[in-house]
Amino acid sequence: MTTESPEQVLTEVRRLRRRSKARAHGGVWLPVAVLAGLLLLSIALYTSPFRAPHEMTVAVPFWAGLPSEQRDPTLSYAFWFVGTPAAFALIAAWYRWRVRRVGVRVGWHWALAAGLVALVALAVLAAVPVELPRDVPLGTLTADQPSLGSVLLDGVRTPLLPLAVATVVLGVAEGSRALVAAGGWVALVAYVQCTIGVAGVFAVLDGSRPSSFARYDTRPGPLVLAMAAPLVLFAATRAVRAPFRSGAR
Amino acid sequence: MNEDVPHPSLALDETVHQRVRLGILAVLSEASECTFAVLRDELDLTDGNLSRHLRVLEEAGLLEIRKGYEGRRPCTWLRLTAKGRAALRDEVAALERLVARLRPRG
Repeated sequence: MTTESPEQVLTEVRRLRRRSKARAHGGVWLPVAVLAGLLLLSIALYTSPFRAPHEMTVAVPFWAGLPSEQRDPTLSYAFWFVGTPAAFALIAAWYRWRVRRVGVRVGWHWALAAGLVALVALAVLAAVPVELPRDVPLGTLTADQPSLGSVLLDGVRTPLLPLAVATVVLGVAEGSRALVAAGGWVALVAYVQCTIGVAGVFAVLDGSRPSSFARYDTRPGPLVLAMAAPLVLFAATRAVRAPFRSGAR
Repeated sequence: MNEDVPHPSLALDETVHQRVRLGILAVLSEASECTFAVLRDELDLTDGNLSRHLRVLEEAGLLEIRKGYEGRRPCTWLRLTAKGRAALRDEVAALERLVARLRPRG
């Protein structure tokens, strides 16, 4: 490069970085697809994910992920506390296989570590004895509203947050702002829905005081689809566009 | 031209600006770690030539060399240090200023 013009040197540096980036981050599509798959599978945990039921009983914490009636809270709990580590194990195996094949490593282990720490924190938080609202049949929702503190706490007591945390950190490790934003989107929708609800946001925008019961107004199915859509789009785009071709120069 | 502003070529670092070493930093900048073999193939170098340049960069504190195993095979991993990332950033910035200065004015 010393005999080349500065412009040629810059062009060569950019070309090398582009190739190196494609090689290093070309495998991100599968981990994101796994995380999106886990999120989409969670729709099966709700008794009525798309249609509004005449009556429902909601258990807190929202082990299915979002505030709605679950088929079985134990099944929801097992789904996230077994499914999330299993998904992480699959992602780790993928990255290890890629390292052997491609010879380049990215900081994927930080993402999985952050997700697992968040999952453990959720388990600890859920185990802290607090006065939880009783299961309330929708027909008797004129009961006292839960306190603001407990409603805000509900926002972090959802197994969707560890998944969102893992996605955000994976985005940082993979140098992708789009993935960081997709993880942030999952966290935002989950937190809002578990606290005041998406319907409650519209109430705030209207200038009225949101009720914590507004979080039961929106069905979980469409919300999970909306949360997973950026992840699915990201995974599909990367899978098609950025597979590393070792011969491409 | 402003005489008070130093010429951009003065900001170029001799250690970093060398052709192969700049290539090494560019490849390593996009990954956490990279194997010796990948870097050698990417830059089309011999083992000896690459080792010589790696030693220079390691002595300057711009990269770290870690010997390990990948399965049962011995493997040498290379990682850019924070100083190495900063050095590459400064070098690219200096080159961009130089290109802008050399560009004919319309």
